[in-house]
Amino acid sequence: MNAFENLLYGFEVALQPEALMFVLIGVVAGTVIGMLPGLGPISALALMIPITYGMDPAIGIILMAGVYYGAIFGGSTSSILLNAPGVAGTVATSFDGYPLSKQGKAGKALAIAAYASFIGGTVSVIGLMFIAPLLGRVAVSFGPAEYFALMVFGLTAVVSLSEKSLIKGLIAAVFGVMVSLIGMDLQTGTARYTFGTINLLDGVDFLIVALGVFALGEVFVLLKKKTGSLKQNALGSLKLSKKEIKEIAPPVGRSSVLGFFTGVLPGAGATIGSFLGYTMEKNIAKDGDTFGKGNIKGVAAPEAANNAASGGSFVPLLTLGVPGSGTTAVLLGALLVMGITPGPLMLEDRPDVFWGVIASMYIGNIFLLILNLPLIPLISKILNVPRAMLLSLIIVFCMIGVYGLSFNTFDLMLVLIFGLIGFGMRMYEFPAAPLILAMILGAIMEENMRRALQISSGDWTIFLSKPISLTLLILAVVALVIPLTIRFIKFIKRRRGLKRR
Amino acid sequence: MSVALLAACGDAPEHPDEENNNEAEAGDNNGNETDNANNNADSNDGGNDTASDWEPENDVEYIAPADAGGGWDTLIRTTAQVIQEEDLAPVNFAPQNIPGSGGAIGWAEVAGHEGEAQPLFAASPPIILVPLTETSQYDHTDFTPVANLITDYSIVLVQPDSEFESIVEVFEAIEEDPQSVSVGGGSAAGSMDHISFAGAAAEFGINAADVNYVPFAGGGEAMTNLLGGHVDVVITGVGESTGQVESGELRPIAYSSEEPVEALQEAGGETFIEQGIDYTFDIWRGIMGPPDMPQEAVDYYENMYAEMLETDTWDEHRENLGWINNYQDSEEFGDFLDEQFDLFEDVLTEIGLVE
Repeated sequence: MNAFENLLYGFEVALQPEALMFVLIGVVAGTVIGMLPGLGPISALALMIPITYGMDPAIGIILMAGVYYGAIFGGSTSSILLNAPGVAGTVATSFDGYPLSKQGKAGKALAIAAYASFIGGTVSVIGLMFIAPLLGRVAVSFGPAEYFALMVFGLTAVVSLSEKSLIKGLIAAVFGVMVSLIGMDLQTGTARYTFGTINLLDGVDFLIVALGVFALGEVFVLLKKKTGSLKQNALGSLKLSKKEIKEIAPPVGRSSVLGFFTGVLPGAGATIGSFLGYTMEKNIAKDGDTFGKGNIKGVAAPEAANNAASGGSFVPLLTLGVPGSGTTAVLLGALLVMGITPGPLMLEDRPDVFWGVIASMYIGNIFLLILNLPLIPLISKILNVPRAMLLSLIIVFCMIGVYGLSFNTFDLMLVLIFGLIGFGMRMYEFPAAPLILAMILGAIMEENMRRALQISSGDWTIFLSKPISLTLLILAVVALVIPLTIRFIKFIKRRRGLKRR
Repeated sequence: MSVALLAACGDAPEHPDEENNNEAEAGDNNGNETDNANNNADSNDGGNDTASDWEPENDVEYIAPADAGGGWDTLIRTTAQVIQEEDLAPVNFAPQNIPGSGGAIGWAEVAGHEGEAQPLFAASPPIILVPLTETSQYDHTDFTPVANLITDYSIVLVQPDSEFESIVEVFEAIEEDPQSVSVGGGSAAGSMDHISFAGAAAEFGINAADVNYVPFAGGGEAMTNLLGGHVDVVITGVGESTGQVESGELRPIAYSSEEPVEALQEAGGETFIEQGIDYTFDIWRGIMGPPDMPQEAVDYYENMYAEMLETDTWDEHRENLGWINNYQDSEEFGDFLDEQFDLFEDVLTEIGLVE
């Protein structure tokens, strides 16, 4: 059977009335879960395992997959409107989404997020369909050395995310790496930076830092300027002009592909995918310096990337039987309970499940687009809530979200602390994005560096002797040198200009 | 939308949201409020000493001290489901995740319910290993063993075309040049997979501290790295490796059960014992309760679990998940835990992680 026949077979499964109903339930549930900070797809899926017990396995996985990509789809809403990312994968969306919303263009930002998510999702389904079995091989070609190099490459984005002051960006990034190292060290079982409390042994959840630094930090800033009203901006138009469509089309396309491949790598996932998409577009764009101040491309790129990555993360699960993320780990458990062992044999043993879930993703993405566009005016009414109430609402939102992560009151203190840090950073103009980026990449980088060195018995050439790792490291050097060279040339030119005068 | 979600959950045995609210009120240590007191067995008046009279009156808080999706979580959710479907208890078992610190945060929560009949929680070797490496203030002796339920085994895997044909060859290669063989595992240094491999190595007669163990964040990640050829050998649980072994993507060269397992024999695997290394390792999973749980309650639950293991519903789930029944009642389980403690302490000392 070729991919097309396979897909037709998949649609036979996914177009059964029961399957359609559960796709719909899944994506609606996912959208709402995504919008609420803290309530992530992992806990939602765990709750659904008992519901899927009696179901046909194909239907069960269709439902659960719908919740997952629905959550990534819906997660952008609170990032854009409130600067409070609903799921970790949508943090990068807030960099430009929230400024757009402040400028009264919330409608536009939400619409772009919906379109970009739709396209990202669809691109990833196409990728899953045609090259999933091949990609399984790509996924395993990434070992510790390659991951280390990938993370180093990712961290070079700190330069472009640093805005005005590179030094301040680097300080923020170093702080982010330090935060990411809190907790039990996998290599030796030693507790690091935990100050003797067991509450820090598992490290600090990424969402706590994101909600603290972004959402609470913003609330504190707004509280400080008592008079400055939180501009009761109108929703603005949902419509995109032809020019805008032209502008966002290439970034959406590029980020979708990039996101998909990032998702394929076990452990990378939607969050890293969205950051890579964002920084890639920022670097490529001619108007890169307006990123972070409300550039529509800054919304489109991460949204396309994170949805594509959520599709891509099904590749290792379905073709290798190994979960690439926490969410797909829960899915793996659910499949096992239903008597299905994902892996290379699944394509032959249970084609209904494999192709059914892929076909259902097409349908689910269309449902998501149809559902989300009309909801935008309704959801953005939240911006009409009076300032005092809205600010308290965001605080409550953050607290509930953080408590929902692990039901630990200690985390509430942590998010407050990070809120104050975020406030301080904003007051003294430290950029927050490098902190978040370094927090995601830092721990993975360190862990894989030490793993690679353990394998090579301490021989550092392991990073240079592997082709993928070497390529990535060269790219990292290039990414560092080019912006600095450009800055240097500009600097020289300016000095010459001054001298001439 | 959460309305629709809850409606969809209608027939499910759990209402975690409610549970969590209760949690919040109960606070940390002094959760001994009137609701819970009802569950205490002292209402067994009239000198009637047949334990069978005792029954739980409120829904049982049923804790997986880890995130959703792991082994403890699967055990809790599956058993709750079977207990509900087979009507084995007059109340619901409400699963709840209290993740953190390899279990220590969940254990601290349970330890606060001293003398009560619940919560019950899922336990496995980490309840002995984590305290040994001094990251939990509570250890297995602080809790009441209820019943041991199932077991899984360790399995050592290599790539299909690996030069290693037996575990003996692996150990000999390590003996010759410890750095030449990298051994990936699905847990941190000093935890389950590491101990299991090091224990076998010590039994073979090589220095357990010589094993070049590379920890990964889970069995899946470790196997991915083996598939890609980044490590030479991987040790993980049999259950986690089913897909890879059945498809022939990875080849088993040793596993840690006493008796041979058919599916693994077909794939060409042999036990350690068959290869002349007198070594077994159980990845057991059982249920434990708070400190000084009333005897009547322990009796009730150990009988309930014994009954559960006999049901068809359980058999079906168990088979799908690749679990092997391994029932021990409270007393046997307790003795077994003490033995495990001595064993693990020895291995950890040999590796140099415990002094």
